Amino acid sequence: MDDLGEIPELVDADTTSAEDAPEGLSIPNLADANDSEHPPRTVPLTIISGFLGAGKSTLVRRILTERHGYRIAVIMNEFGDTADIEAKTINVSSPDDPSQQSEEFLELANGCLCCSIKDTGIAAIEKLMKRKGAFDHILLETTGLADPGPIASMFWQNEEFSQGLGRDIHLDGVVCVVDAVFGRQQMEEDHAADGIGESLRQIAAADVILLNKVDLVPPAEADATEAVIRGVNPAASIHRTVRGEIDLKHIMGIDAYASRQLLEVSGARVAKSHRGEHEHDHNHNNVHDHEHSTSPTHYEIRGISSLQIDCPKLSSQQLDVLDEWIRSVLWENKLPGSPSGDNSGLEVLRCKGLFVTTVGDLYVLQGVRNLYEIAKVEDEELGLPDAGKLVFIGKGLNEHVRRSLQEQLKII
Amino acid sequence: MSATPVPCQSSNCIKDRPPSRLECPTCNKLGIKGSFFCCQECFKANWKTHKIIHDIATPRQPLLDDPNINKDGTFNPFGTFKFTGPLRPVYPLSPKREVPAHIPRPDYAEDGIPTSENRKLGLPPRILAPEEIEKMRNVCKLAREVLDIAAAAIRPGITTDQIDAIVHEETIKRDAYPSPLNYRHYPKSVCTSINEVICHGIPDQRKLQEGDIINIDVTLYKDGYHGDLNETYPVGRVDEDSQRLMRTAHKCLHEAIKLCKPGALFRDLGKTIEPIARQKGCSVVRTYCGHGINDLFHTAPNVPHYAKNKAVGTMKAGMTFTIEPMINLGHWDLEHWPDDWTSTTIDGKRSAQFEETLLITDTGVEILTGGRSREDLL
Repeated sequence: MDDLGEIPELVDADTTSAEDAPEGLSIPNLADANDSEHPPRTVPLTIISGFLGAGKSTLVRRILTERHGYRIAVIMNEFGDTADIEAKTINVSSPDDPSQQSEEFLELANGCLCCSIKDTGIAAIEKLMKRKGAFDHILLETTGLADPGPIASMFWQNEEFSQGLGRDIHLDGVVCVVDAVFGRQQMEEDHAADGIGESLRQIAAADVILLNKVDLVPPAEADATEAVIRGVNPAASIHRTVRGEIDLKHIMGIDAYASRQLLEVSGARVAKSHRGEHEHDHNHNNVHDHEHSTSPTHYEIRGISSLQIDCPKLSSQQLDVLDEWIRSVLWENKLPGSPSGDNSGLEVLRCKGLFVTTVGDLYVLQGVRNLYEIAKVEDEELGLPDAGKLVFIGKGLNEHVRRSLQEQLKII
Repeated sequence: MSATPVPCQSSNCIKDRPPSRLECPTCNKLGIKGSFFCCQECFKANWKTHKIIHDIATPRQPLLDDPNINKDGTFNPFGTFKFTGPLRPVYPLSPKREVPAHIPRPDYAEDGIPTSENRKLGLPPRILAPEEIEKMRNVCKLAREVLDIAAAAIRPGITTDQIDAIVHEETIKRDAYPSPLNYRHYPKSVCTSINEVICHGIPDQRKLQEGDIINIDVTLYKDGYHGDLNETYPVGRVDEDSQRLMRTAHKCLHEAIKLCKPGALFRDLGKTIEPIARQKGCSVVRTYCGHGINDLFHTAPNVPHYAKNKAVGTMKAGMTFTIEPMINLGHWDLEHWPDDWTSTTIDGKRSAQFEETLLITDTGVEILTGGRSREDLL
């Protein structure tokens, strides 16, 4: 039987010149990393995780329908499993008809990539965009039980290879859909891997949490579920939804691994002293309770704990001490200043923080697993908070941890 | 710029042959006009008969005129690949070289899979015991000897395969295994990277030419430990850009080594390396990094050479790792050949690299693979 070979895609004759046929290699100009005036466009990627049956697929469908006119790629399945790359499909929505999706196959990029640290799966997506053009957004839907943390870490790390050609993927955020009906039961009873309930891990890794199907439960139940979520992850924004209906600006384009979301969430908390208004719109179609109840500064359930530590204005010396403390905790799982028997089981899964220095600079801490970054924020349109705050989510986060930091910073 | 749409060429178009500007890309490339289809479905449906046009239109080249086959019988196996620079592979590769049975081999020598490395993924860098450090000192010294001998053979006319033969011979003479051989199925015993090749060049039948620069990357495995180093050398006289490039890469490595001591952070090395490269008008490759090395060829930590990275880890006495900056005259990004190993710059401009295996001591750093300084780099 005669091998037909790969059938190429039709091209628009008016814009394609002979040299430009697909697979053409465009030679980029050296992008100036310091050029903040015209930051190159990047492709945002949102990881959508969620409890089984919570409504992830409904959410994805809604996104594709509402964002018609955009090219959105949806990748399903476990990621990071390089053996299966060529079996993975990626569905790309057509800008013209949201119900139409073209199915693309991921190909392994050339190159063994063994001594390079770029993930082969990510390279395959980038290769696809090189051939077919940059997507407007990428949605990565994880399978029910997958822990989004390591996946987020991979994409965040991958940003170090940005070229400024408009095809660089940047991690926009992790969304977790929780089922208001069965969510609390799942959180309290599901299988625990490595000491932490699986659904709790998903909540820990999320930047935005949708408590879905709230119309099917009494408000008290929704409150109780929300309280657990808030306890586990005080840094995420939580929205109550019905059938996955939510203003997409809350879940896409949120830049959760940069500073904007942190500033917004903290701005709302500090709102009482500085501003009267909350930043979010109130979408009256949603069953939307916007009461920002303060979560306890330490919370623990089934192996996972969260800790919120207030932080006064820091001197530059204290900033160094903070960085050293974070390195010890994130990289070595060791608590500075305490005898080594004292912090068994310390492991930080996610950390976020905001703090101000005595010279008026604003810094943001972002961390997932042992990857972290403390960066100065240049954009000050939201104003400086008075005090700083650090949030840690993981294992073994107890009062010893708070004390350790306070002692190191000499603030008690 | 829009021209007249042409009716869909499909013989069984279900939409009644509407006019279209969507063209078969292969016809576009070959200069065949008129191959328009209204949509991908029509195109797919007609593909079997349509592609016959491509086959007719593509000139068939008799072997004598095939540009991918050289008169001496060597050939370029990737004729349709869009190479980024002038360099081409010159096949066939020589047959797989054997390692005598008495020499202990790493776990991947048989099946290509570094199982022991995979098992240790995610763990922090190892602190070596004193007897392990002695073995590292020894294998690194031997690796340096082998590199120096291979470098002495560089001259216009010698092939990279002949350099591979020298490295292989000198390695087994020292009762060591050439670490690259069959590592993830790498076919040879050394990496030889010429001009625009950044790293992992596979030794083949190409003769070195005056004006080339060549990086030879040697790794030995002896007594259960690996030692890894590389240097970029000129072939005869080279142009000023190449000299600038080699000096810059060398300086990047050695300024970074100066920072190494207990308590130093791996993520800070790039902060020193990148400005040096920029100042000389060069860029730093991002996709390949330095790595931990001990009983494993490649292990934690990961050592980026570019600034603003999130590398995990603090240097501690007893850690052994490499720093191996790859510096490009043009853009930092790279492309791989279809052999799945050779990486080249995307703009075809040259790249140079230098590497040493380092040990962190109680007070600072020891260059385990250290050798004589080179006059041409000063």
